[in-house]
Amino acid sequence: MSFKYPVVMPKMSMTMETGELINFHVAVGQQVKSGDVLFEVMTDKIDMEVEAPADGVIESLVANPGDVVEIGKPVLIMLTETEVMAFDFGDDNEPVAAVEVVTPAPVVEAPVVAAPAPIIVNTNVKAVPKARVEAANRGIDLRTVHPTGPDRTITMQDVNGAQLDPAIIKRQEANKALIAKGIEMTRGIAQASFTRSVSANFDHAKFIAAWAKVLRNRPDLAAHEHVGVALIIESKYGSALPVFRDPDQSSYAALAALVASTTDAAKNGKVPVAMLSGATTTVFDLTSYSMSSATPLLFPNQVTSVTIGYESATTKIVSLTIDLNFCDFYDGALLLDALVASL
Amino acid sequence: MSDRMLTMAEAVREAMSIAFDERPEVFLLGEDVGIYGGAFGVSGDMYHKYGADRVLDTPIAELGIVGAAVGAALSGMRPIVEIQFSDFTAQAMDQIANQAAKIHFMLGGALHVPMVLRTPQGSGTGAAAQHSQNLEPWFASVPGLKVVVPSNPADAKGLLLAAIDDPNPVIFLEHKLLYKIPGRDPVPEGSARIPLGVSKVVREGKDLTIVATGIMVNKCYEVAEKLAAEGITITLIDPRTISPLDMNPVFESVEKTGRLMVVQEGPAQAGFINEVIAQLAGSSSFGSLIAPIKRLAGMNIPIPYAPQLEKAAVPQIEDIETAAREIVKNWR
Repeated sequence: MSFKYPVVMPKMSMTMETGELINFHVAVGQQVKSGDVLFEVMTDKIDMEVEAPADGVIESLVANPGDVVEIGKPVLIMLTETEVMAFDFGDDNEPVAAVEVVTPAPVVEAPVVAAPAPIIVNTNVKAVPKARVEAANRGIDLRTVHPTGPDRTITMQDVNGAQLDPAIIKRQEANKALIAKGIEMTRGIAQASFTRSVSANFDHAKFIAAWAKVLRNRPDLAAHEHVGVALIIESKYGSALPVFRDPDQSSYAALAALVASTTDAAKNGKVPVAMLSGATTTVFDLTSYSMSSATPLLFPNQVTSVTIGYESATTKIVSLTIDLNFCDFYDGALLLDALVASL
Repeated sequence: MSDRMLTMAEAVREAMSIAFDERPEVFLLGEDVGIYGGAFGVSGDMYHKYGADRVLDTPIAELGIVGAAVGAALSGMRPIVEIQFSDFTAQAMDQIANQAAKIHFMLGGALHVPMVLRTPQGSGTGAAAQHSQNLEPWFASVPGLKVVVPSNPADAKGLLLAAIDDPNPVIFLEHKLLYKIPGRDPVPEGSARIPLGVSKVVREGKDLTIVATGIMVNKCYEVAEKLAAEGITITLIDPRTISPLDMNPVFESVEKTGRLMVVQEGPAQAGFINEVIAQLAGSSSFGSLIAPIKRLAGMNIPIPYAPQLEKAAVPQIEDIETAAREIVKNWR
């Protein structure tokens, strides 16, 4: 099943409203790989190459070289069979809702995702149990491993000497590059961070719903028509940032189910295309790493970002970073206060 | 006084004597346990020390011996039964499996059967098919019985004392070849118990986990010593009590070594040691295995009379050594 995926004019700075398409690096019908350069864009500040977010085929070129394109408007359409892992930096204007996906899933329902790959695949090759576990953890396809054990069985030595699946390496690198590029763009923004200790029980669904509710009461802080909470999920493919739209407006049960199914899908390298854009804030949970805090990084086109850190079995540390162009210190303190109160 | 190197016969006799001294309700009955001192000399001089009231010579009638013990146990006594050869427990199996093991449960817990049945088993004495079996799976497959298989004098003493304390029927299987051999470790003075249902980690290594029972623990120990010189180190685990079975040290060790070998003298088919494999295969430690599990056990034949064939029918030190070396070398 192919999806139409519009590659849009990216927002590359906080002040950017339009970008000029310089030229295409691809033609209609051309096969592209994730990370291939699709086109170049010029703004008043920087020039940038826009890369393919996934493997696919160029279906049509929407804009023409020399056109000035509003951010979020499509520049070209590609057909992809991949449910891409990477996120994009488009703003709320982008026509994601109009994208033809398998099922235009309403936010409150679990999205249709490809069946998650089993953690350990029966690859019809002989391998000792631990080799299967290790291969699954490292994303190694056992069919690519040369068996040296008795009866052509793959041993631990064989797996330890095996190379990582190149496709996974490529996805990891593409994801890293995308995120680094995004963070790079916001590095110069004046920002401030606040931290509070919280002794409340919450899961991801409860947290992102609470945070969305707080942001909805402050429309002055981000002129968005919706609240989109990106949740960073780590997997062997790198970081995924699925976006939960208006999580405060769905029931807890529906949201919890959506978070659970999306987390599972992301860990298997698949996020529905429709969930990859429209973020207005980002949440990063560090508790599984037993870390207390990290600087919450601002992503492009977002003025807030939150991390959840580990303090003790019963208490967590919530850190908030704000963009000082949009709010002052007082706003930041109030926001964090409201978030903690609603937990 | 910690250097007492006793044989298993002496250690078992010492445990029985301590129990005799501690509790007047403990007594011993069996064929030739009195004046003769036991077929393998285990009861020794106990008849002369404690008298005919507490060390009872019985007729050759195993069903009657165990039946008398079950009745005595129900009446508040703590009998120790000795069956001359474990092969003869077949004669007494109704009392063991249908009476001793079940009474507590069938009477709603109102009564219990604090009986210990000691019996020598195993091959290596040239006594042929009807006097050489390892029958631990018979007993281990009957819920309601506890089954102890000591591998050395020190364990035998502590485990037997715990077995006599136990309110349930305990089958205590002693390998004949161990009776006359001093153990590696001294037998402690005093009346310290070794709890039933706790496996013993005999030695620790990082390359291979061996679970062995009874006399095989000693053979595996020798192999472990020898292979250590080659740089192959072995964790050796002696379950000691095969029912209830304590698998935790096995799980923990396999998670470290990734390799498991199990060794028993009894026939491989439906043998007790298969239970260790089954529990490991069904546990989360399964994912730690870096080698197929190796099983060394007796052949599925009656123990032959001819000495060479008798030897060939059960695992020998050389077999264990070869298997241990291969599993470590072939699976890395």
